[in-house]
Amino acid sequence: MSPSTNKIVTLLFTTIALFITAFTSLLANATEEVNVYSYRQPFLVKPLFDKFTESTGIKVNVVFAKKGMSERLAREGEYSPADILLTTDISRLIELQERNLLQVNNSAILTSVIPSQYRSTDNTWFALTTRVRNIYSAKRLGAVNINYEDLADEKYKGRICTRSGKHAYNVALVSSMIAEHGEAETLVWLEKFKANLARKPQGNDRGQVQAIHQNLCDISLGNSYYFGKMLVDKKQKVWADAVNINFPNQSNRGAHVNISGMGLAKYSPNIKNAKMLMDFLASKPAQQLYAHTNMEYPVRTDVAPSALVASWGKFKADKLSLEIIAKNRQLALKLIDRARFDL
Amino acid sequence: MTDILNIKDLRVSLQGKTILSDVQLTLSKGDILGLVGPSGCGKTTLLNTIAGFIEQEQGQILIGNSIAITPGNNVAPQHRNIGMIFQDYALFPHLTVEQNICFGIDKLAKKEQQSRLNNLVKLLELTNLEKRFPHQLSGGQQQRVAIARALAPQPKLLLLDEPFSNIDARLRNELMLSMRHLLKSLNITAIFVTHNKNEVFTFADRISVMHQGSILQTGSPASVCQQPINWQVADFLQLGSWIPLKVQSSITYQTALGEVSCLNKKVSSAKEDKIQQLLLKPHYIEICPTSTANVQVDHITITEQGFHYLFSSLTPNTELAFKQLSYYSNELYSLGQQVALTIKTHNFIVFNK
Amino acid sequence: MLPLLVLISEGISASTDLFSHLWQTVLPDYISNTLLLGTFVVLLSVCFGVISAALIVHSNVAGKAILRWLLMLPLAMPAYLVAYLYTDLFDYAGPVQRTLRLWFNWQNFNDYWFFDIRTLGGASIIIALVLFPYVYMLARTAFELQDQNLLKASRLLGLSAKQSFFKVALPLARPAIAVAASLVLMETLADFATVQYFAVNTLTTAIYDTWLGYSDLATANALASILMLFILFTIVAEQRARAGQAHQSNRINKIHQIIILSNTAQIFASGFCWLLAITGFILPFILLLLMAWEYSTIEQFFALIPSATNSINVAFWAASLSVVFALLFTLFKRLSTDKWRYLPMQISGFGYAIPGTVLAMAMMSTFAPIDYMINDIAKFFNYSPPGLILSGSIFAIIFAYTVRFAAIANGTIDSGIKQIPRSIDFAPASLGVNLSTMLTKVHLPLLKPSIWVAWLLVFVEAMKELPAVLLLRPFNFETLSTKIYQLISDEMLEQGALGAIFIVLLGLLPIIWLNRNKDNTSQ
Repeated sequence: MSPSTNKIVTLLFTTIALFITAFTSLLANATEEVNVYSYRQPFLVKPLFDKFTESTGIKVNVVFAKKGMSERLAREGEYSPADILLTTDISRLIELQERNLLQVNNSAILTSVIPSQYRSTDNTWFALTTRVRNIYSAKRLGAVNINYEDLADEKYKGRICTRSGKHAYNVALVSSMIAEHGEAETLVWLEKFKANLARKPQGNDRGQVQAIHQNLCDISLGNSYYFGKMLVDKKQKVWADAVNINFPNQSNRGAHVNISGMGLAKYSPNIKNAKMLMDFLASKPAQQLYAHTNMEYPVRTDVAPSALVASWGKFKADKLSLEIIAKNRQLALKLIDRARFDL
Repeated sequence: MTDILNIKDLRVSLQGKTILSDVQLTLSKGDILGLVGPSGCGKTTLLNTIAGFIEQEQGQILIGNSIAITPGNNVAPQHRNIGMIFQDYALFPHLTVEQNICFGIDKLAKKEQQSRLNNLVKLLELTNLEKRFPHQLSGGQQQRVAIARALAPQPKLLLLDEPFSNIDARLRNELMLSMRHLLKSLNITAIFVTHNKNEVFTFADRISVMHQGSILQTGSPASVCQQPINWQVADFLQLGSWIPLKVQSSITYQTALGEVSCLNKKVSSAKEDKIQQLLLKPHYIEICPTSTANVQVDHITITEQGFHYLFSSLTPNTELAFKQLSYYSNELYSLGQQVALTIKTHNFIVFNK
Repeated sequence: MLPLLVLISEGISASTDLFSHLWQTVLPDYISNTLLLGTFVVLLSVCFGVISAALIVHSNVAGKAILRWLLMLPLAMPAYLVAYLYTDLFDYAGPVQRTLRLWFNWQNFNDYWFFDIRTLGGASIIIALVLFPYVYMLARTAFELQDQNLLKASRLLGLSAKQSFFKVALPLARPAIAVAASLVLMETLADFATVQYFAVNTLTTAIYDTWLGYSDLATANALASILMLFILFTIVAEQRARAGQAHQSNRINKIHQIIILSNTAQIFASGFCWLLAITGFILPFILLLLMAWEYSTIEQFFALIPSATNSINVAFWAASLSVVFALLFTLFKRLSTDKWRYLPMQISGFGYAIPGTVLAMAMMSTFAPIDYMINDIAKFFNYSPPGLILSGSIFAIIFAYTVRFAAIANGTIDSGIKQIPRSIDFAPASLGVNLSTMLTKVHLPLLKPSIWVAWLLVFVEAMKELPAVLLLRPFNFETLSTKIYQLISDEMLEQGALGAIFIVLLGLLPIIWLNRNKDNTSQ
């Protein structure tokens, strides 16, 4: 190397060293705390954490990201600061479990209040709320009795809207279809469903209701809580008013249900606080808060859903095990690709 | 002979400032005109106006018999049939030599293009360089490409903006001569701008001296040198040294070098006591060993003709004091040595400064 | 550069199963979408940028004093924001189509035709609207700095002002336009959020699908590497195409022979420029202002200040670090005699083409082992392990930005150093001055304008950047872009309008300053 190269290389390393020292010095902390990696929007869970801090004095730190949290956890390994993982979809919880990023939490509270189909058999993950994959129908259609299978019915040609087939909520639904009907039949269903779409899959669940309101389509897929949330939003209420919420497959296996849940990180550094927070999230007050602010179904059987949600009526839920739904995930994705659902 | 260019009463203003005024210029076919003048005198503006890059405010430009440009009737540069060679050649860096040369003639038939290209390449000794890009050429080659490019459309008039300023001094003279030879053999009419008077004397048939936006004098180099019409012309061309003088009688004058008389009668109309400037060429000075010294040697240069001295006045603060006198001699004087100079009797050229 | 190598090496171990599944199903469409999107966006932004730059520099287009800097402003708009605003506006359910239906009493989409914004075409136009200022800025500068004698020569060789522009000015501006186009291409290909709004599936979609859906990071990395390869190929092809045409640097000449437009042309030309400025900046900005007016409170404003501070902080350090690295790379390239001296710069530039989240992953893969090493060393010396020092720190975010925006800083500073004559490298040595004095006394002062420009461009980009910060950030760390993203992804942009205005304004200041500065230096 020439002398000039040497000098530049030295300069480079000095700069790097300077920056490292400048930023690592900021990382000192010592108070009682618990760290949460969240797939959920912070404003959805913040009221819960505030309540927890209020009663215990333990500070809750959150970092939210929809993509890559499990990668981050895996790479951080034994030095990860994460205590608790919060997710919105069963497959993410099972992914964490399968990658051995969670640890067992045999809390008596959790195992007693959370029904066994809503927690893993090894007690690594626990559901906090459940949500139904509803079918919304335009009020102009009148009352409909609809099954997921009907989405492939030709009478809805050009009248169905949905978000991307690859969104976790839809993938889970397809997984449950595979469990019920097998791979080949599900593919046919997907293809016919696709052919019925009024437009390319796009937007989110609320956007589909808006499209029904605008008479672009009559039928859409959407999670239950969005309906409640739209009804209390000043701009979106008119959209929601244009549709009925339907619980599909009530005469057979029941409506497809997904969960939001939590797990204890394998290398949780604040394990005592973490367990306290998990117990708190499953407690009655927390479950009530979930029910009221987020319009979800509490996982506890002894906490009632909000009055609005309850007004949609009781429904029959598909009893299919969540583990099977998660297991079928890869296959579901492949079928969605093969049906060219999003294209 | 037909006039290729005829400029009458030209006035040009840029941003409200008058740059050229009352410019008159006529050029016959085959003439090469050297346009000289100090920096900022408007040479380049005049060139740009002739080329059509600047619109005139007043006056008329006639190019050949067919193109008349007046303030109301502008003609775009591309329709003026004028070629230009720039100081930095302005070769298109993204085109090859060949493409550069054919740039202005690409509307002609391919055969015609090819024959003109071949002629120019041969004429300007650019053989085997056709496929190169400008940056792969030497300065001299680049200039020859620029000439070829400008000549390809066979312009009526060629404008050259300081074409030799980028050339090595040793090559410059040779290049100027060969270029002059080329232009003459093709009978091309050209105007070239320079601030170097030696280039004019080598290259031009005629010379125009510009000062502050107007042409002071136009003529053959010899006549302008012999008969500069005013102080600016003589000063710019550095025809000699300036020495102040005061009228004493009709033919005798007072200077710092004593009393002198001239051959020509009544050289100036100035009143007595008024200080005027005499243009003093070196060969009208002689050393007069017997008189008392009136100058001292300030600077000595060795030239091929002998020693070149610069003298300064011994009485620097008087009204007749001069700054510098140029003088050639084979005799050796030392720096600071004081000598006596006298002015030979000759035809005086005297101006008001 | 290191994260890129990590990414490629992880990609090599990809399983072929998933890849062949993708290949048999959706990948060909994704690739063709990617190619089309890249082509359209580049073509459109080149059209927008070059035409507007040409009009501003070479014609008497009306209002050019204002347009001159107004046309740079779309740069301050995050693409995902503009995408959101326009899809909202022109969607079937959006106000434009609603109003039309109301006016003409149309019942549904069968009664009329309206362009569908959620298509490849719609996405291309919107992305081009946000990215064309790169082309505009670089092309405008190129036009302004061109040797005017070349244009004069062309005029005297029989070409009209317009012909001269196409035959001389435009080809000469090609390197600058190419650099801008490659920046646009990279930014387009790396984009995920925007195309997702438009429901356009590209190679980036495939990257996310394989990683998040199929949980196969290796294949995702392999796809990202393919994406980089694709960009590398385009850039090299372009450079090859103009090999041999070294462009000599010319002296600056201020006299411009501008094209006088006819009245009709004037209407079209100024209409074109104003339309660009309005659609690219003014309209979205007004929409944001209206939203903020309706939904925001003064409390929200104060609540935004910490995130704004974080944004500025991160952007500041990212910009500074990028510039330092770019300086080192360019000086190395310039002064070293090594055969591979240009490599560090070239490779570091590809970070711009990697989707932010993928880059963030590569970042983690890079930092985690280093963190482990630090802890191992600590344990070896019987200290308590310090935990993760680099992963999940602000440092990681800044580093990710630096990698991502290296292309911008490198390009700007490299083009700056090219304008310094080679002879200057040798002059100080001849004066008996050593290397460091030469750099600090000669090169750095001469490079100062480029350094500023590079710094500001990276700063503006870093203010807008989202995915990397989302994944890499430490606990409770919010920037303006993460805040807005959370609200947008819940269809609540109205609440985030104030934050968006913050980003735009903060991005605006340097652009305006940059413009003033440029005007001053060119005078």
